[in-house]
Amino acid sequence: MNGATTGERLELAQAMQAEGSSGLGRRDFMRYAGAGAVLLGGASGLAACSSSTSSGTGTTGGTPKKGGTLTAGLAGGNASDTVDGQKGVNNVDFSRIIALYDALSRYDINAQIENGLAESFEPNSTATEWTIKLKSGVEFHNGKTLTADDVIFSLTRVVKGNLGGASSMANIDLASMKKLDDLTVLVPFKTPYATFPAGYTGYYYYLSILPTDYDVHNPVGTGPFKYQSFTPGQTSTFVRNPNYYGSTGGKGPYIDTLVINDLADENTQINAMLAGQADAINLLSFTSIPRVQAAGQILIGTGGGMTPFTMRVDQAPFNDVRVRQAFRLIADRKQMMNLVFGGHGTLGNDIFSPWDPDIDSSIPQREQDINQAKSLLAAAGQSGLTVELVTSDIAQGTTKVAQVFAQQAKAAGVTVNLRTVTATDFYGTQYLKWTFAQDYWYYSQYLPQIAQATLPISPFNETHWSDPTYVALYNQAIAITDPAKRRDVAHQLQAIDHTSGGYIIPYFPPTIDGLSKRVHGAQAGKVGLSFGNYSFKDMWLE
Amino acid sequence: MTTVEQPAAAAPVLVAVPHPIRRLLIERTLYGILTLFIVSILVFAATELLPGDAARAVLGHNATPIQLHNLQVQLGLDRPAVVQYWSWLSGLLHGDLGKSLANGESVSTLLAGRILNSAVLVVLAGFFGTVIGVALGLFTAIRRDKFIDHTLSVISLGVTALPEFVIALGFLFVFSTNVFHAFPAVSLIPPGSPPWQSPSLLVLPVAALVVVIVPYIYRMMRAATIEALESEYVEMARLKGLPRTGVLLRHALPNAIAPTIQAIGLSFLYLAGGIVLIEVVFAYPGIGFTLDQAVQNRDIPIIQFIVLLLATFYIFMNIVTDVIALIATPRRRVPR
Repeated sequence: MNGATTGERLELAQAMQAEGSSGLGRRDFMRYAGAGAVLLGGASGLAACSSSTSSGTGTTGGTPKKGGTLTAGLAGGNASDTVDGQKGVNNVDFSRIIALYDALSRYDINAQIENGLAESFEPNSTATEWTIKLKSGVEFHNGKTLTADDVIFSLTRVVKGNLGGASSMANIDLASMKKLDDLTVLVPFKTPYATFPAGYTGYYYYLSILPTDYDVHNPVGTGPFKYQSFTPGQTSTFVRNPNYYGSTGGKGPYIDTLVINDLADENTQINAMLAGQADAINLLSFTSIPRVQAAGQILIGTGGGMTPFTMRVDQAPFNDVRVRQAFRLIADRKQMMNLVFGGHGTLGNDIFSPWDPDIDSSIPQREQDINQAKSLLAAAGQSGLTVELVTSDIAQGTTKVAQVFAQQAKAAGVTVNLRTVTATDFYGTQYLKWTFAQDYWYYSQYLPQIAQATLPISPFNETHWSDPTYVALYNQAIAITDPAKRRDVAHQLQAIDHTSGGYIIPYFPPTIDGLSKRVHGAQAGKVGLSFGNYSFKDMWLE
Repeated sequence: MTTVEQPAAAAPVLVAVPHPIRRLLIERTLYGILTLFIVSILVFAATELLPGDAARAVLGHNATPIQLHNLQVQLGLDRPAVVQYWSWLSGLLHGDLGKSLANGESVSTLLAGRILNSAVLVVLAGFFGTVIGVALGLFTAIRRDKFIDHTLSVISLGVTALPEFVIALGFLFVFSTNVFHAFPAVSLIPPGSPPWQSPSLLVLPVAALVVVIVPYIYRMMRAATIEALESEYVEMARLKGLPRTGVLLRHALPNAIAPTIQAIGLSFLYLAGGIVLIEVVFAYPGIGFTLDQAVQNRDIPIIQFIVLLLATFYIFMNIVTDVIALIATPRRRVPR
């Protein structure tokens, strides 16, 4: 399964050549094409053009109807699937968790933070304590009313169990967490943590609020659907929660029954949709768009999670900032997006978290500049450099974009040898230690993402980024409760990312999902999770 | 091809044994158990060689080193390989198949339904494959060198050359997704319900497997029948003036069946492995599909059990085939 065949490689090379030799400049062509999709020659290019734009799509409109069974056929799950609201790992887990549970806050489809079970988050002046007020009258599926005790139980379970969401609450002072009244919790931290709501939201599908008497074998949450049955790696059946707290004002859930089947790969998913056995399929490649459109609808999200190239800044040749900047200048990002996703997705500028309001939009977009890359390499004494890039089928398009990068690097005299390994190998003992590799990340806001990835103490510091100025700025930022002042510091951090960081972020990959014709109400999201954050509650059937 | 000729059976016999069938059964069973033991070691060693482990597969790439270590300890993956193997083997000898590393369920409850699903697939495919193969073999043997004989011969050669997943995808294309929408494309048998309650989900996987095994049985049956029809005893029967059908069914068929039984046996052996690919293509929840998932998850107890189950089936089918062939060939039962 790993790597592309020789045929694919050839096709890629031809496509790149064709693009380079066309008299029309690519950027001009983009302008004429208008839709953000570029025709590259060949059927796949045509397909991209005939499909919808990359600015996000939806199947909204009409008056929602109640009832029916929606069957989703989702990729990415396996026998270790779980419906434990805090132990999800893969995409199918998250789809089930978002259906069954709610968290204090979550992302809306524009990747902005919105309150879920929380009515408000209020910090004290030093950002060491947060007071969380809960919405009143929220019921769990078993009829129990949500209280502060459930929140304390849930957060404690994550931190004590060292579960997936724990790293977003690293400095929590568990012993001093307390219930102020039935609907109010005080969450103290050992150090200032002004970005707690953002950090929490970045991991909201790991941080479901569970009732104090939670039993994973009969899982109960507050979510739009209630548990009925589940077989790991195969299927689950949930039914509509008629008492869902969010359904006031005629909002969903609308469907009576939600069946989520695990399907192993894209072909099986598309076959199931063509045979009428699946209403919703996810994680498709852009070349499948015409096949799916023939039978149903396509939903394209602009993407916000990232699949960066990772350069270890503490190892040669990437310990020289000139080499890192040269590599960033080698990347022709638009060409990458065109070849790997048919032009869908969002252009990257080596700074993560594109939808965060704290992102400095005045930083100029980095373009390919082979001459400057060459002179930087020459200055660093690295002309004619040969490096190994470790790639793997870890996310949409990762092996393909590695090939594109290797091709593009030739122009700068850099030889990139690809080493394709299995995903298990990639995340094996060498993970976070590769010199030059790739990775994928779900969307998170800017400062919380730094906590995960670019501090010396970050659990996933794959670039081995360790800069005292950077650390000091970060610590300063998370102690500021005034958003405007905090933003200034965030901008300084982004300037450092952009001029010397270890990531090449060429684009934010799109989500391409398929829906059968009878599904309405679905909207694409920007977080990088399918169906606008697996929002089955908004979908209705004809 | 003929498994009877393996070294085990060809061991020098000093004293004429009065019960060749019993001797064959005892000998083969002992060798079979030894084989299973070796297989279990090989499979365990192979899974140990694979990069990554179940803890990594369960936690995904978002695992911190501490979480990973905790789970490895919890699953016992931090112990030396020999200790892990021994604990699995001693569990097995006590009738404990262990627990899935991926989701903590016991291997027996997890697999019971799936073994049934796969068994139904194998039995149905084997049954229809045998009936169709034998019938076609007889049919073409008596129409030797006629147009229909040549046509079927060419078709069967063509089918033999196709890998099974190509056949499966072809069936999907024609009968499910693109030409006709007659049958489901994915065979998602509801957990807890036996597969015969959803017969439409069985059609395409069974059909694909039947198409794979029919050519082999049919060609063997045809060749053996032709050989029998050319024999002197058939000529004699004809000269006596017996009707054609009688000659075919009473004289030729019993003599042609022994080599065909070998072919049928081999087809069942093929099915035991062939279901893996077919189940994956149709997402059919049997042991082949489960094995595929278990390998991805490094779920060693599941891998071990399924591989041993398939190996046991393999050995068992070999013995059964040989015994039946022995019964069907009276002259080989008589010690000389």
